[in-house]
Amino acid sequence: MDSRPGKGMRVHQALRHDSALKHVSGEALYVDDLPAPSDMLHIYIAMSPHAHARILEMDLDAVRVVTGVAAVVSAGDIPGQNDVSPVAGDDPLFAEGEVYYAGQSLFAVAAESLEIARAAALEAKVQYEILTPLITIDQARQAGSYIEDSQTMACGDAAAALKNAPRRLKGRMIIGGQDHFYLEGQVALALPQEDGDMVIHSSTQHPSEVQHCVARVLGLASHSVTVEVRRMGGGFGGKETQPALMAAAAALVVRKTGRPAKLCLDRDDDMKLTGKRHDFEINYHVGFDETGRIEGIDLALASRCGYSEDLSSAINDRAMFHVDNAYFLGQATITSHRYKTHTVSNTAFRGFGGPQGMMGIERVMDEIAMALGKDPLDIRKVNLYGKAPRNITPYHQHVEDNVAPELITQLEAHARYRERRAEIKDFNRASPFLKKGLALTPVKFGISFTKTHLNQAGALIHIYADGSVHLNHGGTEMGQGLLIKVAQIIAEEFAIDLGCVKITATTTGKVPNTSATAASAGTDLNGMAALNAAQEIKGRLIAFAAKHYHCAREHISFSDNHVTIGNRVIAFADLVNQAYLARVSLSSTGFYKTPEIHYDRATHRGRPFYYFSYGAAVSEVVIDTLTGENKVLRVDILHDVGRSLNPAIDRGQIEGGFVQGMGWLTTEELYFDDGGHLLTHAPSTYKIPACSDRPVEFNIEIWEKGSNLKETIHRSKAVGEPPLMLAISVFSALGDAVASVAGHKFMPRLDAPATPERILTAVEETRRRAGVGKS
Amino acid sequence: MYAFNYHRAETLDQAQDLLAHYDDPKILAGGHTLLPTMKQRLANPSDLVDIAAISALKDIQHVGSMLSIGALETHAHVATSPIVQQAIPGLAALAGQIGDPHVRNRGTLGGSIANNDPAADYPAACLALSALIHTTRRHIKAQDFFIDLFETALEEHEIITRVEFPVPETSAYAKFPNPASRYALVGVYVAKTRNGVDVAVTGAGPVVFLATDLAEALTRSFMPGALDGVSINPEQLNDDLHASAAYRAHLIGIMTRQAVTTALARV
Ligand SMILES: Cc1cc2nc3c(=O)[nH]c(=O)nc-3n(C[C@H](O)[C@H](O)[C@H](O)COP(=O)(O)OP(=O)(O)OC[C@H]3O[C@@H](n4cnc5c(N)ncnc54)[C@H](O)[C@@H]3O)c2cc1C
Repeated sequence: MDSRPGKGMRVHQALRHDSALKHVSGEALYVDDLPAPSDMLHIYIAMSPHAHARILEMDLDAVRVVTGVAAVVSAGDIPGQNDVSPVAGDDPLFAEGEVYYAGQSLFAVAAESLEIARAAALEAKVQYEILTPLITIDQARQAGSYIEDSQTMACGDAAAALKNAPRRLKGRMIIGGQDHFYLEGQVALALPQEDGDMVIHSSTQHPSEVQHCVARVLGLASHSVTVEVRRMGGGFGGKETQPALMAAAAALVVRKTGRPAKLCLDRDDDMKLTGKRHDFEINYHVGFDETGRIEGIDLALASRCGYSEDLSSAINDRAMFHVDNAYFLGQATITSHRYKTHTVSNTAFRGFGGPQGMMGIERVMDEIAMALGKDPLDIRKVNLYGKAPRNITPYHQHVEDNVAPELITQLEAHARYRERRAEIKDFNRASPFLKKGLALTPVKFGISFTKTHLNQAGALIHIYADGSVHLNHGGTEMGQGLLIKVAQIIAEEFAIDLGCVKITATTTGKVPNTSATAASAGTDLNGMAALNAAQEIKGRLIAFAAKHYHCAREHISFSDNHVTIGNRVIAFADLVNQAYLARVSLSSTGFYKTPEIHYDRATHRGRPFYYFSYGAAVSEVVIDTLTGENKVLRVDILHDVGRSLNPAIDRGQIEGGFVQGMGWLTTEELYFDDGGHLLTHAPSTYKIPACSDRPVEFNIEIWEKGSNLKETIHRSKAVGEPPLMLAISVFSALGDAVASVAGHKFMPRLDAPATPERILTAVEETRRRAGVGKS
Repeated sequence: MYAFNYHRAETLDQAQDLLAHYDDPKILAGGHTLLPTMKQRLANPSDLVDIAAISALKDIQHVGSMLSIGALETHAHVATSPIVQQAIPGLAALAGQIGDPHVRNRGTLGGSIANNDPAADYPAACLALSALIHTTRRHIKAQDFFIDLFETALEEHEIITRVEFPVPETSAYAKFPNPASRYALVGVYVAKTRNGVDVAVTGAGPVVFLATDLAEALTRSFMPGALDGVSINPEQLNDDLHASAAYRAHLIGIMTRQAVTTALARV
């Protein structure tokens, strides 16, 4: 297939990423690649060595006098508010009075080179009174330390259903956090402007928030700050709230010195300073019948939020929204405790709490299967959402677009699930040390920001007099292919070649008050807003053509770079030029807000999601029961992206999301010591998946029947986050392999990430419970 | 990195003169440990004496019952040398498992054992094979050489010239790499000679050590099954972010069995 963006290539085409070649050749510019102004300063952030301490004295004089140091800024230098938080006002740019986590920013040094800044920072004399930190969920629980009240979501009477259920079981699991490990670290470049104004190049998923934060810190109005981002080298949620700190520090240095300034964190500092995926503890108590169908469930979630609120409230809400995954839970009570600890403030990460919520219910499915001696897939199937009344979620939204049963049945056949289940049984019988495991798990993921007001987007389109189109919107590009998808939508609308549409950097100067590119909703929102702008201009062109050529509007149509006006055909560019000469405005903003959604957080009821994205995966793994080592042998994915806007891009999201999820659940381990220091802060200790960790056989299929029931952009569905959760099948398959050592009679206690050591421990525990010796 | 002076020695004599002449000099071989340490400002030598050009430290010979390897031989060269592969295939295989191709093409035998990282691979081979470490001043038995964490018997400015390995009847190395760093979480070298069996363990403690219980069991019967019932005490083992002491103890047993199986296949 020729995937060059060219003639006639518009929506539903598998086009390669607009920057694909530039990514590979190195010509794609990231913030750190931008030509540096000659007098630019480099910034280093000094960080707290303690998790919790009172600052008795901070003497920075010795830092200031180091040759090459231009400025040292700390809390006292902030003209506005010392706050870079997204919502709650509790994230200081620089520590004041107390430090709340090891790695917290204390002050910034700006110097002629990064080496000088870094070395000078060591000259600081800071005296602390060390206080006792709360590092773990357990410690926070005992101290009663929360970032907000615990939340409860309920549907029916779970206690009664549990009491009356024929069978019951209880369990608990712990799920580790995850570092975003974007290839491009956090970076901001601030450039001084006239009148104290500021232009900032930031690697951010949320330019508007960076703008508002910088203005707040500097005590300026938002109109004095412009934030621009052409692209990020990965974001994954880690560049939603976190970039505000880098940008504000850089802007403060500019304010102080009048010189341009750049702050680019190195990997170790990035990992210590910035927030990560929340780690969770899940306790479940479930009642079910002899077919495995759940009658009632009590789920208690607990998460480590870190020292401040950040987005923890919404993230933990989304965890609650996804404890059902694709299943009807009957009578359910879900509680959620959000613990405040002296660790980095955890933040958004692909899935936004959803993946952690789903892990619990998938464990429940496996455990019910084991209790009943059935195949876990059969338990999953009997519990899927169905027709009323089995279509009500715990938050009282009705599931109207449920394609999970059909999709699962198709994948089960394509992946030869039942045959392979039998083959694996034979293999395990004959193999004393290597054991295989298999699992099929579904994903149902709610699309929309659960904070309703965020579901809005803006766009700006100009058509120049030569017919070329300038496209801009509030969405940001982080490698996920948002910009080309929206460009395809615009090319389609005007029926012009994709090459006629210029993709441009996101800037707060063109589209204001945007939401973060997040919640998988980037294309849904910005695609619609851009379409709205295009339709506005197209309407003006049609009105002009109708008048100019005395033709009825219904006889005007656009196709193949031309416009048919009655029985006349003229080039699109010519019509544009004629319209220009006739003084027709060829520029328009566009706007979109998601319809139908509403949510009452006080009662945890409503319709938080416009629709759901679905998918399913079958994973086959092998473990070595002598060492706990493991490998993913084969993965088959069937994923619903509605009518794909760009199957090449969507496939990339599915593959990347799956592998990232696999890393989260198998190898990536955030290890904090008792003092709250993160010890795994570089790739030498923190293991992300590499090419060789990709499943040996990896089959990805986009569901050909996919279409969105809702009127989304060209009936497509969001794809950014959902595939990450397909990797839960790997975790389930590992559990299945472990359970095979005792004939699947016991559910092994296996926590995530399932490192070799944890797998080995689970194998030994399973054998002990079964009274089976080492083979 | 702090400032330092760089000197390139062409001969051993020149290297020794240079080392004697400066305040706080350090020997530079492959640089794959020393340079990162300097970059992190954990080392601050006044002068670096680069010995990489001294050809006398580069040769591999198999004479009689001894395999002699020059201190400057790279891991890649040891791994692919037909002489090493023929004399002690276990040693060639070990060198082939160190780090990645970059590391293997630069890192040297002398640098590795002089550094004595608790998770390095070569020390296990030296100890299990009862190697003799030759320096500009003397020769040191492996069991006297590796003293503690990053500490060896080397004196100031003493240069390792070559290492002599007595050729065993058979031997093998089994390594459980840390998934992130690829250093040994546990590595076990098993060597069988006429006099018995030796088992050396790296990665599990502060410094490489001989596992005498395992060695005795294998001396009685050189079979993986001989290890059944021999337990490893986790008490002295490392317990850290990479693994618990209990897991390391378990892996020592498993890696030893694996090494025995491989060694048996080599006879
Ligand atoms: C990414 C990476 C991965 C690695 N993985 C592994 C691994 O899996 N297993 C493993 O065992 N090692 C590993 N290493 C270490 C590697 O093997 C080093 O190269 C080796 O430890 C040091 O050898 P060198 O020649 O580079 O020594 P240098 O770095 O040059 O020197 C190291 C030290 O030894 C001293 N020294 C060097 N030569 C002599 C000599 N002839 N006499 C006396 N003193 C001397 C130096 O003064 C210095 O103190 C890894 C290194 C890196 C960077």
